[in-house]
Amino acid sequence: MEEVLRIEDLHKSFADLAVLKGIDLAVNRGETIVILGASGSGKSTLLRCVNFMEIPSSGRIVMNGRAVGRAVDGKQTYSEKELTRLRARVGMVFQHFNLFPHMTARENVMEGPRTVLKLDPAECARRADTYLDKVGLAWKADAHPSELSGGQQQRIAIARALAMEPEVMLFDEATSALDPELVGEVLGTMKELADEGMTMLIVTHELGFAYTVADRVLFLSEGRILEQGTPAEVLTYPTQEGTKNFLRGHGSFRLPEPQLD
Amino acid sequence: MEHVWDFSALLNNKQLLLIGLRNTLILAAVCLGLGLFFGMLVGAARYSKKPLLYWPSTVFVEVFRNTPVLVQIMWFFFAFPIISPFDIDAFSAATLGLTLNTTAFSSEIYRAGIRSIERGQWEAGKALGMSYGEQLRRVILPQAVQRMLPAFMNRAVELLKMTSLASVIAYPELMYQAKIISTIEFNPIEMYTSVALMFFAIVFPLALLVQRFELKHKAR
Amino acid sequence: MGYEWDFTVVLRDFDLLLLGLLNTLKVTGLALLFGVPLGLTLALLRLYGNWLVRIPVGLVIEFLRSTPPIAQLFWFFFALPILVGVEMDPFKASVLTFSLQSSAFFAEVFRGGIVSIDRGQWDAAKALGMSRNETLQRIILPQAVKRMIPAFLERAIELMKTTTLVGTISYADLLYEANSIAQSSYRTLEVFTVAAAMYFVVIFACSVAVQLLEARLTRPDESARH
Repeated sequence: MEEVLRIEDLHKSFADLAVLKGIDLAVNRGETIVILGASGSGKSTLLRCVNFMEIPSSGRIVMNGRAVGRAVDGKQTYSEKELTRLRARVGMVFQHFNLFPHMTARENVMEGPRTVLKLDPAECARRADTYLDKVGLAWKADAHPSELSGGQQQRIAIARALAMEPEVMLFDEATSALDPELVGEVLGTMKELADEGMTMLIVTHELGFAYTVADRVLFLSEGRILEQGTPAEVLTYPTQEGTKNFLRGHGSFRLPEPQLD
Repeated sequence: MEHVWDFSALLNNKQLLLIGLRNTLILAAVCLGLGLFFGMLVGAARYSKKPLLYWPSTVFVEVFRNTPVLVQIMWFFFAFPIISPFDIDAFSAATLGLTLNTTAFSSEIYRAGIRSIERGQWEAGKALGMSYGEQLRRVILPQAVQRMLPAFMNRAVELLKMTSLASVIAYPELMYQAKIISTIEFNPIEMYTSVALMFFAIVFPLALLVQRFELKHKAR
Repeated sequence: MGYEWDFTVVLRDFDLLLLGLLNTLKVTGLALLFGVPLGLTLALLRLYGNWLVRIPVGLVIEFLRSTPPIAQLFWFFFALPILVGVEMDPFKASVLTFSLQSSAFFAEVFRGGIVSIDRGQWDAAKALGMSRNETLQRIILPQAVKRMIPAFLERAIELMKTTTLVGTISYADLLYEANSIAQSSYRTLEVFTVAAAMYFVVIFACSVAVQLLEARLTRPDESARH
């Protein structure tokens, strides 16, 4: 299996508050990893460190076998240019969509290819068509975000990230801000991506989704990976007290009965 | 050309400058007090359903908000005395212009402040059996004044700067004194620099206070 | 009362008043032309410069906002030419003063507009790999400018009112013309009243236009969130 991304001993503190206290994780191409954890466990920060929305306090991110940044006196230093280039290869989807309200759906999707990748207009247009179609919203191409439902906005945001043709996609609580009846369409889009072999890191509270879609589930607690494994291992037979407590708190998810053969 | 800064003339004319400073502050204080008071009345008149109150007050506010304050001051100094039954000196002309200007702007602040209080507050007062005046005095104004305070302080900042316009009609406030001294002493650089600094020293702390107040208010 | 109004002088010299009005508009227009881009520059420096830039720029903005325009005008007209040895005429001093003075106010309008844009917009652009400049140009400013338009136009109206000061250094704007006609004709009341009315017509029309525009702009907003 080919490794796309490796996180090595990642630490992140805000002022005096240590949020991540040593995360190690290797992600293979095509793998879908769901990250669970209580609020404040550091799961969003972990995602935001992967594409350097936040600069890690220490540790390394290795993309395709090459460490990001340069080691100076045992500490990684980063040039803004390198980080910008890296972010262009990693897609991110936000809780609040963060679509650009002054642009149509189509313009939102074309913005990255146009401004960052500097592709020619024909290729930008092709990508816009492709990815709007992929999320099933080609018919809304000329709508502004304000004219779209939350679910549609989030699917446009996914198309916007996909149009960069990233190697890894990060989903930061992509369905948490949605009305319950709109969650399904977004999760459906995400599942399709996973089935097509997109490499994905997903922070979510949707345990059912984690169970059916994830290749691997991580449980984060107080800035460390407390437990990880297949969905069945972590969700059905958790070994750690912290994981069990967390799962008990999410009563709405009925764990499938263990299958005996 | 290298200018040698020389502030000695400033010290020699300390007395004149102090008079100017005093007059600036007096003018600002008088106009602020009167303007805020009349502004309340005009603001209330603009709330009235009686056309005899509503229309004159509205015309008054629009005229004074939509003409330059210097035009107002000069009108009261040069034009008004012709039809005025009493004598108009520089101080009264400046006071008239600046007071009426402040009245017009502050009446809008009262109006917006009162409007910003939600209807439920009026209704709660009414339900307790309060009269309109009691609702206004006991329930609405105490809340509205809080919200209006930064805007009033902003008015004070603007007013302090506007008092300098009285120099145009030879009222001996700070700016006028500076002009006089600079022509006598041939030191416009030092004079106008210092007068700008003096205004800055008075106005800026007030402006900072407004900013802090607004921040605090937003945080709440 | 016994005063007899007589507007013949005003009618005779009305073209002078119009010329003055034109000069008022000219100074206002030029000050806007220079003041707006300068204001944007100052706002960006104050927001994103390092502290060596931020602090002096902030100081300059606050100084221009906290001192009377007439003091600035006199400084640029009487003090600056001696200080740096340049030729200065009333027109140049007026445009210079009001460009700088309004740029300080516009800087604050720009800053407020930029700061008001949701952090998520920065996040989204950053995640796409956009640089700060690209984000400002493509994402933040287009949204901010739209929100700023009313504040912006109000400032422009204020500017027009403030330019009445240029008469004090003998630049022939509307108020200056009115004053000189009044001095020579002794029809002070009529002349000043007409001049005030002219200012009112122009400024009131602008204010109404701004209010109409504001009403149109604050229709249910297009913001994507909430």
